[in-house]
Amino acid sequence: MYSLYVKAIIIFIPLAVLQLTIIPFLAYHQIAPDLILILLVYFTLMMGQLHGTILGFIFGFLFDIFSGGIIGSAMFSKTLSGFIAGYFYNENKMEVNLKSFMLLFIIFVTGTVDAIVYSFFSTADIQTNLLIIFFEQGVLPGLYSAFIASPLIIFYPRKMLS
Amino acid sequence: MSSVVNKIWYRFKEYIVLIFLLVISLILLSLSNKPPVKKVKTFAFSGFTILTSAFSKIISPFENSIENSRLREVNARLMLEVNKLRQDGVQNQELKKMLGLKDSSSFPLIAAQVIAKYVSTSQGNLVINVGNNEKVKYGMPVINDRGLVGIIVNNTQDFSVVRTLQNSEQKLAVMDQRSRYNGVLEWNGANLIIKNIPKSYDMEVGDKIVTSNFSTKFPPSIPVGIISGGTTDKTGLLNNIIVKPFVDFARIENVFVIGFIPSTIKNNLELNLYHQK
Repeated sequence: MYSLYVKAIIIFIPLAVLQLTIIPFLAYHQIAPDLILILLVYFTLMMGQLHGTILGFIFGFLFDIFSGGIIGSAMFSKTLSGFIAGYFYNENKMEVNLKSFMLLFIIFVTGTVDAIVYSFFSTADIQTNLLIIFFEQGVLPGLYSAFIASPLIIFYPRKMLS
Repeated sequence: MSSVVNKIWYRFKEYIVLIFLLVISLILLSLSNKPPVKKVKTFAFSGFTILTSAFSKIISPFENSIENSRLREVNARLMLEVNKLRQDGVQNQELKKMLGLKDSSSFPLIAAQVIAKYVSTSQGNLVINVGNNEKVKYGMPVINDRGLVGIIVNNTQDFSVVRTLQNSEQKLAVMDQRSRYNGVLEWNGANLIIKNIPKSYDMEVGDKIVTSNFSTKFPPSIPVGIISGGTTDKTGLLNNIIVKPFVDFARIENVFVIGFIPSTIKNNLELNLYHQK
């Protein structure tokens, strides 16, 4: 299990670099996919809810300090995302979850929650309609993350599953 | 006892861990601006930016960094210049409008620029860049192209303080331009109000409010605002009229001081009348 933590953190570093350098080019009106979330969901579906929650906390903390954001905001949202993704963990259905459209659905759900919670801490604007916040700062980033993760269900890393 | 704890832990460990980690996140969130947290953040951030900057160079291999940085500098300079020209354009239009006003005014006007604003809910003041040297005196009214701004309440050789209409100490005799009814306008912290107007007075939403002929502080017929609504007082006999000012106090930049000195003769006459009562 610990080796999975190490693996996850090792993969996290280049993904964080990509998230901060390449992803801004793919952003459309502040809507961007979240590579860290995709990684988190992937590992949570392999490790379970408890470890997913802890991993979300670690990812969030590292991302907060690397991105220069408010420390605690990504920590909070990623911890919650890891916990939510953990609800879909099933040891017997691991392969199905990781190589089917189910993965995209989980990424979409957790991505939506993550984006809403994160935007609440960083760019909350009480003047804006809540429905607009939910759609623009929640559903759209969630969908975008799910779309970016779609190659995973085709080229899923078999080694990691074994 | 320990078995109960074990049972609870076994059953709810995910929730316990979640709550514990969320609480830590919230604590760190509240400490985000404290020096020790800032130190850690700066240290980690600066370390990580070395990675990201290196990666940025890799992803743009064809980029001529020296040429690019020079062009970026030129771009920044041009952006500043464009912004300045845009600002000058807006200012030019505003001044042109003001000149139009100047032609129609029978009082001498002293042009001034707002150099500081103190906007609070009850004490709206401006500082302008004209003073005794430009013959600006205490009590002179201040206007812009849209209407009345306020009155000079203090001045030095080069600067003056203007008490705006959005100051609760400012009371102003005004008149409904259509129906010619008079009243006293004041700032209540949220709105400009003409208080205690009898319900029988013909004052309607959309009526233009100007300075009154009775005012000793201001020349008559300077636009002040427009009636936007009203409320009835507790007795049900009087109205409080809400006036929306023509001047946008948040964006005000250029003003004119009217070379109008309050009439002391008129003041004295009124005081005499008052004392005779």
